[in-house]
Amino acid sequence: MGRLAHDAAETLGRRSVIFRKRSAAKDSAAGSPAPPGHQDAAKHSLWRNAFRNDSLLLYAFGAAILIITGLVFWSYYTPEWRDYQDEFQELVAKKFGPERAAQSPRGLQQIWVKDLDRVDRCTTCHQGMEWKGLEGAPHPFKSHPQEILKKHPLNQYGCTTCHGGQGYATDMESAHGFIEHWEEPLLGKQVSDLYLIKDRKAMMQMNCNVCHRYDRETTGADYINQAKLLIQTKNCRACHMINGRGGVIGPDLAYVGDKSPEQYDYSRLLGVKTAFAWHVSHLQNPKSLVPETVMPNFNFNSKDAQSLALLVMSWKRANIPASYRPGFKLAESQTPEEAEREKQMLTGEGAFFVKKGCFACHSVSAFDIKSAAAIGPDLSFAVSDVQSRFGKTLEDFLANPTGTMAVVLSTQIQLTNEEKQEAVAKMKSAYEKKINAQAQAADQALKNAAAKPSPSPKK
Amino acid sequence: MEIKRSIWPRLPDPKRTWSKVRWTWQPATYREAGDSVVKNFLLHWFPSKITRQSISWNYSFWLGTISAVLFLILVLTGIPLMFLYVPSVERAYLSVKDLEYTISFGWFLRGLHRTSAHLMVAVVFLHMVRVFLTGAYKNGTAVNQNRPLNWIIGIVLLLFTLLLSFTGYLLPWDQLAYWAITVGTNIASSAPVVGEKLRFFLLGGHTIDQNTLIRFYVLHCFFLPLGVLLLFSYHMWRVRKDGGLAAVDQLSLNQKKENVVPLKSKTYSLLGITSGRTVHVETSIVDADKHTVMSSPNLTRRIFMVTLGTAAVSVLLTILFRAPLEEAANPNVTPNPAKAPWYFLWLQELVTDTTFTIAGFTINGALIGGIIVPGVLVLAAIVWPYLDKSSVRSAGVWFATERRKQNIIFLIIVAAILILTVIGTFMRGPFWNWYWPWEGWPTMPRKL
Repeated sequence: MGRLAHDAAETLGRRSVIFRKRSAAKDSAAGSPAPPGHQDAAKHSLWRNAFRNDSLLLYAFGAAILIITGLVFWSYYTPEWRDYQDEFQELVAKKFGPERAAQSPRGLQQIWVKDLDRVDRCTTCHQGMEWKGLEGAPHPFKSHPQEILKKHPLNQYGCTTCHGGQGYATDMESAHGFIEHWEEPLLGKQVSDLYLIKDRKAMMQMNCNVCHRYDRETTGADYINQAKLLIQTKNCRACHMINGRGGVIGPDLAYVGDKSPEQYDYSRLLGVKTAFAWHVSHLQNPKSLVPETVMPNFNFNSKDAQSLALLVMSWKRANIPASYRPGFKLAESQTPEEAEREKQMLTGEGAFFVKKGCFACHSVSAFDIKSAAAIGPDLSFAVSDVQSRFGKTLEDFLANPTGTMAVVLSTQIQLTNEEKQEAVAKMKSAYEKKINAQAQAADQALKNAAAKPSPSPKK
Repeated sequence: MEIKRSIWPRLPDPKRTWSKVRWTWQPATYREAGDSVVKNFLLHWFPSKITRQSISWNYSFWLGTISAVLFLILVLTGIPLMFLYVPSVERAYLSVKDLEYTISFGWFLRGLHRTSAHLMVAVVFLHMVRVFLTGAYKNGTAVNQNRPLNWIIGIVLLLFTLLLSFTGYLLPWDQLAYWAITVGTNIASSAPVVGEKLRFFLLGGHTIDQNTLIRFYVLHCFFLPLGVLLLFSYHMWRVRKDGGLAAVDQLSLNQKKENVVPLKSKTYSLLGITSGRTVHVETSIVDADKHTVMSSPNLTRRIFMVTLGTAAVSVLLTILFRAPLEEAANPNVTPNPAKAPWYFLWLQELVTDTTFTIAGFTINGALIGGIIVPGVLVLAAIVWPYLDKSSVRSAGVWFATERRKQNIIFLIIVAAILILTVIGTFMRGPFWNWYWPWEGWPTMPRKL
């Protein structure tokens, strides 16, 4: 195309402008006018030239994106867990009828335990955990042993806290955690087999002991219990600091479970190179792994060594809320003086008032019991006090108390009839003791006054 | 007289607005083709006609456009990721785990973002290599050209791209991220005098912690992309002001030899009355049909193709190579080997190669390999257009004979960087020992 074509194009252009102006005047919806018929030829050649070279690429790229998008969507709508949920519904329908089957939840499930910083999606596939009657069902639909769940409810503990594995994951391989970049695999058959341990639940006891660390004995954790016994009988504390007590010859084992697997020397270790294997081998023959060590060989058999390795690996810094520690009491500790004083008071004649908690408000000076607060009157004088203040005997008052004591004796300190009798008897004896003491004091004063001829003291 | 007035403001006609935004996909006339570029907002930065060489596949390889498309993909995938990612030390790793496992298409978003980021580093680098080898940083004959400045902007854009990738590297807060940033920032700290302060400033402390994470996050999501956007806009504006790709200058030079009668130019801009020939007049000189085609649909179509192709390659790589996520960051456990991001591995390799001990004195390579070498390279790149005294005949020409020597030296440097990167990536195992690709690394011990 030369000058002519150029001019022609300009002319065409001008025409279309005129056309647009006209149509704009006629109709406000201008801007998309139908092209004049005689422009078709130009249009086709421009268009065809434009696409001749690139059409193949266009189709290739377009098809690639289309296929990949399809694949991504297909994988989104066919996750592994959906099959398991289908199977579970079938199983429940067969066993308990379609109504119950409809109750089983669909879609991703998760247990979020904020206190333990756990997000476990295991129940997405392991749907039967809390169901009763699926004890005999195959994995992953089997019910969890209920007696353990009673003490460790799913919503408070999650799954991976005890079992290990990767709770975040939603496909089996990643969730069971035998993958690269996940250090806490499922503590089940696969790990037990690796170390030739017959009990498939043995490895899991390592996780039990993270919370049960300071128990002497934990129900069900026989490997850990055995290891704890060995710690006592072999006196490991002779050299090692264990749970805050022990010697300094060997390393402090407080957080040995946190030691990274790279920090062990595997050059003399045969077989799998893992921290657990290192510990087992080291316990069975310390010098074989660390020639310069002074740790004696205790000739542990393999089960003992495995138990001890599990125990040792469980000793790690765990961010566990106090309420998860077994046997933990929320109580403020006493100062040694306070403790000593309470112990004294508990052994004396007035132990009754301490045990029952009377001493929170009342002192009993006759028995050397001192209330920290002393809100109420000294019980040593209760016999006369009650008579003068309430107009009834001590026995009557305890049977039908009024005022503050009515509240206290109906709520915080509930006494049986025998205890009431004992209280009255004690208070009476206290009163006698007090009166006698006063009489003696008066006698002494008189004697002193007689001995010393001085102006007698007033009152 | 009564004047009818509508109480409603006049709304823009949607059809008219739409026609301003879209362009004529199948222009029927040259006028329509030209208008679609000039009057259209999305296309206004393109010339209405373009030389055939500028849109050929094998002159520019479209590397600049591919970089821009990758940046677009990164922005588009980055925005939803910003809503899903939590930049806190406690939550970052877990929010990435959630992206991987529970959020619909989360893995794909993250994967595409990662793939495009890696590709962008590579493509921007290749773009620079192309510009150097074609001498495209050289001015032609038109006035007001300043291609050397645009080359410098390009270098800054490359550095910004690296920084964007580097800051994004930390965000998953896994071992890979943590230790790569440790290695990277340790290299920075070996700079003389300011090194320690620089590291402190980068990390917001002496160790990589929450301060570092939020710093990197804000840089990664706001300041660096904003910087790239502004610089990229200027980069493109300069390309237009400089008369398009440098290859066009050769075209006009050739034409003058042929002594073609200049065509009537329709363009009378202010620039036209300044002294010398303006870019506009210049383009009118190469305005011959054998050299140029209409930008719409030729340029727009190619851009569409490049966009589609880049997207296709990115998504393909995304589903072929899943984005890794290692263990959660643990300052107490150093992975062996701890490697910087791959585009800095040539530096890490250089650092180890230049660290040696003579007579009991250890010379720390971090200064040579980590600061001096890259610093000198960047400075040399910045000043090079002003030192290159070759004639205008080597602007926009692949492997011009006049520039043979500098091209060879440049290629040697590029090859050295690539070789060191490959060594660092594939041939360095635990303790930075040499491993051939076919040699297995010793298996790393596990806990269980």
